[in-house]
Amino acid sequence: MSSTVMKKSMYWFAVPALLFYLTFWIFPILRLFQYSITDYNGYAQAYNYIGFANYKELFGSDILGTSLKNTLIYTFVTVIAGNMIGLALALLLNMKIRGTGIYRSLAYIPTLFSAIVVGFLWSYVYMPDYGLISSFLDKLGIANELNFLGDYSTALYSIIFVEIWKTIGTTMIIFLAGLQTVPTDLLEAGRMDGCGSWRLLRHVEIPLLATAITINVTLSLINGLKAFDFPFIMTNGGPGTATNTLIYSIYKMAFTEQLFGKASALGVISFAVIIVITAVFVLKMNKREVSA
Amino acid sequence: MTLRKWLSKGSIQIVVLVVMALNLIPLIIAFSTSLRDPSNNTNPLALFQELSLASYKSAFERMHFPEALWNSIVLTGVSVIFVVLFAAMASYPMARLKTKLSKFMYLFFLSGLVVPAQMVLIPIVQMINALHIPTNQYTPIFMFITCSLPFSTFLYTGFIRSGVPEEVEEAAHIDGAGLFQRFWTVVFPLLIPVTVSVIITQGVWIWNDYFFNMIFISGADDSPLPLAMLGFLGDQQNPTQWNVLFAACFLCALPLLLAFLFLQKYFIGGMTVGAVKG
Repeated sequence: MSSTVMKKSMYWFAVPALLFYLTFWIFPILRLFQYSITDYNGYAQAYNYIGFANYKELFGSDILGTSLKNTLIYTFVTVIAGNMIGLALALLLNMKIRGTGIYRSLAYIPTLFSAIVVGFLWSYVYMPDYGLISSFLDKLGIANELNFLGDYSTALYSIIFVEIWKTIGTTMIIFLAGLQTVPTDLLEAGRMDGCGSWRLLRHVEIPLLATAITINVTLSLINGLKAFDFPFIMTNGGPGTATNTLIYSIYKMAFTEQLFGKASALGVISFAVIIVITAVFVLKMNKREVSA
Repeated sequence: MTLRKWLSKGSIQIVVLVVMALNLIPLIIAFSTSLRDPSNNTNPLALFQELSLASYKSAFERMHFPEALWNSIVLTGVSVIFVVLFAAMASYPMARLKTKLSKFMYLFFLSGLVVPAQMVLIPIVQMINALHIPTNQYTPIFMFITCSLPFSTFLYTGFIRSGVPEEVEEAAHIDGAGLFQRFWTVVFPLLIPVTVSVIITQGVWIWNDYFFNMIFISGADDSPLPLAMLGFLGDQQNPTQWNVLFAACFLCALPLLLAFLFLQKYFIGGMTVGAVKG
C-alpha cells in the first residue's frame, strides 16, 4: 500500500473520539486507582492517603466474597442458560414452519424495553400473593407462599432469569444470522449420508456457528460481569446481600455509605476480575475458533 | 407430505406457539391490565376484562409524557449523530493504517467495553465539573457519546476493512481529492449499512438508559422517558396502582415499539452486521 494514499495524517480523524474517550472514560478510571488508597468520601474536598487499608478491609470483610460469588453465578448462568435457550430458539425459528417472521419479531420485542420497565414488569410477576405466578397457582388451587425476590435462596436466580428474558432476543437474532450462513447443500449432503438432525446439529451446524457463538458468549460474559440493573431496580441487593453483585456493591458503597475510597478499591478489584476473566476467555475462544 | 412429516410439522408449530406464549405472558398480562380503570382491582389473570384508557390518561399526565418524549428524542438524536461522526472518523485510520499504533488504538477503544459506568461515576462527575460543563438535562449526552465509542468503532473498523475497497480511494486520490474530501465524499457514503447498525444498537441503549439520566437530571420536566418511570418506583408495593404503572410502562416503550414495527428489517439487520462478519 503506497503511503502517499494512506497517509499518517489520517490519525487526525481519531482526535474527537479520543478526546471524549480519554476525558470521560480513561482518565476517570485512572482516578479510581488513586482514590482506592484514600479515605475520600466523594463529596468533601479533603482526603488522606491511607495506603492499602481499603484493600485490607475489603479482603477481611464478607462483602467482597459475597459480591464476587454472586457476580460469578450471575455471569455463569446467563452465559450458559442464555446462550442455550437463545440457540434453541434460533434453531426452532430457523425451521420451515408458517409465520417464522412474526415469531422472530415477537421474540425480539423484550429487548426493546428499558431495563427499568422490565424491572417493574417482573416485580409484578414475582410479587407474593398478588403477583402473576402466585395468583396463577392460586387459581389452580395450589396454596403457596412463594416470595421469589424476598427469599435468600431464590432471589439471585430470579433476577438472573429476568436478565436472560431481556437479552434472549438479541442472542437469538445473532444465532439466526449465523444459521443463515450454514450452506443448505452441506446439510443436504449430511442428510444423504444418513445423519440424524441431532448429529447434523452437533457436527455441522454448531462448528459453523463458531463466530456467532463467540460473539454471543463474549457479549453475555461482559454483560454478566457488569450486572447492575436488576439488583438496583428490583431487589436493592437484598434480601440481605443475596443479590449484591460487584458493581451494585460499588454503587451502594459509594453513594449510600459514602465510602468512596473503599468503593474505589472494590472497583479496582472488580476491574482486575473482569479484565482477567474476559481476556482469558477471549484468548481461549479465538484459539478454538481458529482450530475448528 | 407423509402423515408423519405433517404431524411433526404440526408439533413444531405447537412447540413454537407455547414457547412464544410463555415468553410474552408478562407483557400480555401487563398490557391487558393497563387497559383497566385505575380503580379496577380484579385479578389481572382475567385477560382484557375491561377496555378503558383511564390508566393511560393518568400515567400520561404523571410522567409528563409529551415533555419526556421530546427530551428522549433530543438526547438520543444528538448523541447518535455525534457517535456516528466520531466513531466513523476514528475508525478510518484504525482500519486503513497497518501500524502498531493503529492496532493499539483499536484494542484501546475496544477494551472500554468491559468497564461499567457505575464504577467510574464519581471521577466522571468531577471531570465534568472541572471542565465547567454545566450539569443540566443535556449533560448525559457526553457520556452517551463516550460509552458508545467502543462498540461503534469496533463495528466501523471491521466494516471499513472488509467492505470498503482501498481501490475506490486510490481513484479519488488520483483525481486530486485530499484526505478530508476523500473520507467524506467517498468512504463515508459507503458506510451506510454499518451506520444503520450503529444508529440502532446505540440508539436503543441510549433511549432506554436511566442511569446517566438519573445522575445528571433532576427536574421532572427535564426527564426523558425511562427517567420519568423512576417516579413510579414506590408503586411496586402498592397493588392498587399497578394499572397505572403498567400503562406507564407501555407508554415508555411505545416509541421504540412503533419504530420497530416500521423499521423491523433495519433492526434485525442492524443487530447482525457486526456479528456475522465478526
